[in-house]
Amino acid sequence: MSVAEQVVVTGAGGWLGRNLVEALAPERAVVRVLVQTADEAAVLALAGRSVQTVVGDVRHPAVVDELFDGVAAGATVVHAAAVIHPERRVRELFDVNVGGTCLVLDRARRHGMGRLVHVSSNSPFGVNPHPGHRFDERSPYDPYLGYGASKQEAEELVLIAAERGDVDAVIVRPPWFYGPHQPARQTQWLRAVRRGRFPLVGDGSNRRSMVHTGNLVHGILCAEASAPTGAAYWIADVEPHTMVEVLATVRRALVAEGLPVSGGQPRLPRLAGVAAEGLDRALQRTGRYVQALHVLGELKETIACDVSLAQAEIGYAPATDLFEGMRASIRWCVERGHEL
Amino acid sequence: MTTRAAEVLVIGSGAGGATTAAVLAEGGRSVTVLEEGPALEPGSVEPFSLDELARAYRHRGSSAALGAPPIAYAEGRCVGGSTEVNSGLWNRLPEPLGERWRVERGLAEFTPAILDRYADLVEGWLGVGRVPGALPPSSAVLERGAQAMGWRHEEFPRAFRYDDRGRGTKQTMSRSVLPRATSAGADLIAGMRVHRLVLSGGRAVAVEAVRTHPDGSREDVTITADHVVVCGGAVQTPALLQRSGLRRGIGPGLKVHPTVKVVARVPEVLDHDDVPMERITEFAPSIAIGGSASRRGHLGLALSDAGVDPMGLLDDWEHRFVYYACIRSDAGGRVRAIPGVPTPLVTYRLTDADMSRLARGLVHLGEALLAAGATELHASATGAPVARSVADLGVWWDALDRKRANLMTVHLTSSVRMTERPDEGGVDSFGAVRGVDNLRVSDASILPEAPGVNPQAAIMTLAARNADHLLGSL
Repeated sequence: MSVAEQVVVTGAGGWLGRNLVEALAPERAVVRVLVQTADEAAVLALAGRSVQTVVGDVRHPAVVDELFDGVAAGATVVHAAAVIHPERRVRELFDVNVGGTCLVLDRARRHGMGRLVHVSSNSPFGVNPHPGHRFDERSPYDPYLGYGASKQEAEELVLIAAERGDVDAVIVRPPWFYGPHQPARQTQWLRAVRRGRFPLVGDGSNRRSMVHTGNLVHGILCAEASAPTGAAYWIADVEPHTMVEVLATVRRALVAEGLPVSGGQPRLPRLAGVAAEGLDRALQRTGRYVQALHVLGELKETIACDVSLAQAEIGYAPATDLFEGMRASIRWCVERGHEL
Repeated sequence: MTTRAAEVLVIGSGAGGATTAAVLAEGGRSVTVLEEGPALEPGSVEPFSLDELARAYRHRGSSAALGAPPIAYAEGRCVGGSTEVNSGLWNRLPEPLGERWRVERGLAEFTPAILDRYADLVEGWLGVGRVPGALPPSSAVLERGAQAMGWRHEEFPRAFRYDDRGRGTKQTMSRSVLPRATSAGADLIAGMRVHRLVLSGGRAVAVEAVRTHPDGSREDVTITADHVVVCGGAVQTPALLQRSGLRRGIGPGLKVHPTVKVVARVPEVLDHDDVPMERITEFAPSIAIGGSASRRGHLGLALSDAGVDPMGLLDDWEHRFVYYACIRSDAGGRVRAIPGVPTPLVTYRLTDADMSRLARGLVHLGEALLAAGATELHASATGAPVARSVADLGVWWDALDRKRANLMTVHLTSSVRMTERPDEGGVDSFGAVRGVDNLRVSDASILPEAPGVNPQAAIMTLAARNADHLLGSL
């Protein structure tokens, strides 16, 4: 299947969006992007002459109308706009992740767009029952808190749109990202790991799938070109790693980039993670969100997936592993003067 | 104190009670129907009028489920129950939902074929059809909006019969099913409020009630019965069961269809005597869009919900109409009888996902109405900015929050729930109350979940099925 000359990207100012636009801009005639601020628009415009920016809120009908205005029928849409850590209120997750998806699907249908790739998450599937388990495309929904519920509802809207023939939609499900254009929270994480201040929760034998943004962009392009309508694929680095391995690999990558590491490996009892999750749940029930509690609550869990279906069906062949990908991320930070 | 005796006592005369009474009376049983509210002569009350609010509704149509935000609700309280005051829209239980209930709740004899058989039966009694000729203007607005947006939409059938000049009459219970029951010998007593079931030896042996006579005098009445079927609706039924000492699975799980409204001004003059039968189904099953009763009084109330002074806006009221978006909510509520207080406490706790879905419904409703040519939209959130173009709709997301949303519902279900899993509800596959041999429930409270569509057809279908099952056991 050939790829579309024109592409619409939502969430283009985000971590994945920036990587995606850099990959698409030289290759496509028009890359119409939705960003939240004029500053983001100015930065993205530098990615290439093909980039056309629209600034606004993905929940607003008039904004999404403008996003699709004049885009050629048959263009590809990559819907990457979402809130993962709301600033204050849990409801933002639903407004943006469900409401935004509903609107983007509707306008993609009205404007006769071609393939729509919806960027989902591991969170609609919760956590694996044991460290040896991996999610695959037959795993049932079991959402983890508000974010997981919002991304599940969004997936369901996408699947309905695909089933009724409204939009030629497919889903990709990435876990925890790393890679260029990382947000401040990820830089803080690297800094904490380097200084020996990032804790292992429990014994660290729980596994995590991670995905380098370069691998994820490649996976999205595979889904654009080859996936059957209504399909969903896990997109991650090939192998999940134990948390012990993740932290050790990051520290090795820091050393390899000439950044000596210090400190030991602080540990927290698994119970601390359980307590954090309990607090997070209680707060989210009252509509409030505290990012640190959410992250701490999830750290004790195995969240691992199997990418073999994407490898077999859509030619997904991730080129970057955790060590090389982390080195590249670290270089990206150093080049921009971010203190690690 | 008066004492009476009945073979089968049916408490409530709405969609559930009337249907139960008709099946059992036509099956040759001796049936007595008790109705708390008055008997109103069919045609004597102007539909959707203030007079109707005063005479046919409980609390003049303004009850509330407490929560943040609270949800206003209306219940019919008259012979025929809410079928006397509703829009008569007729939606069979969606088959995928029925199948899910059958599997998840382990329901016996709940296949699509069985449900269709009973739906056919009650539809034959009522007459169900679509409007002959063109849609009225208030419905045409929704149709035009949906077409402009490219959204799925549908004219829903209604429980109406039409004469040869195309004039329709809503087939309320007092016009259709109750006369069928009384012709077969059922006894119908209005003005009789049951406040307690008398349980003894695992049976409901009698009910204690107060009868209010037309002259206002009151009389305590005890009625013994061989079988009792409670059909008081999703609020009154669990309250009665709780007052009688039955609590297991009774009261939690209440479901409503939370609803937001928009008052639209359109260029044309609209019809205001009826409720639109056109619906936008694009966002089903989570969101449904339709139209509400929109007489001048309703417009005034709806504009007040928008936080504006309605007076200046009612000069051109013939051009304004109330449209709504309602959702299937994740949240549940609870009905609790309070000792010594006749009105139960109803609570409902909307989730953030529900609040967001309501805001999404409001924005989509706004889009459809503007696409249909509306020039001014007032949303039911206090202080929400008036929308005159699509660019104005975005701020409604944040305008509809827990403090400012003015929500209502006319569909209350699921406070008792049929299930074969005793922890999940109060009655079995046929509405029988666990632990009481001769007591059943047959009304909106037994639906396992809110159906996402008008529930009258589902209530009547299940009531006919359950009454037939009871008949077979007598």
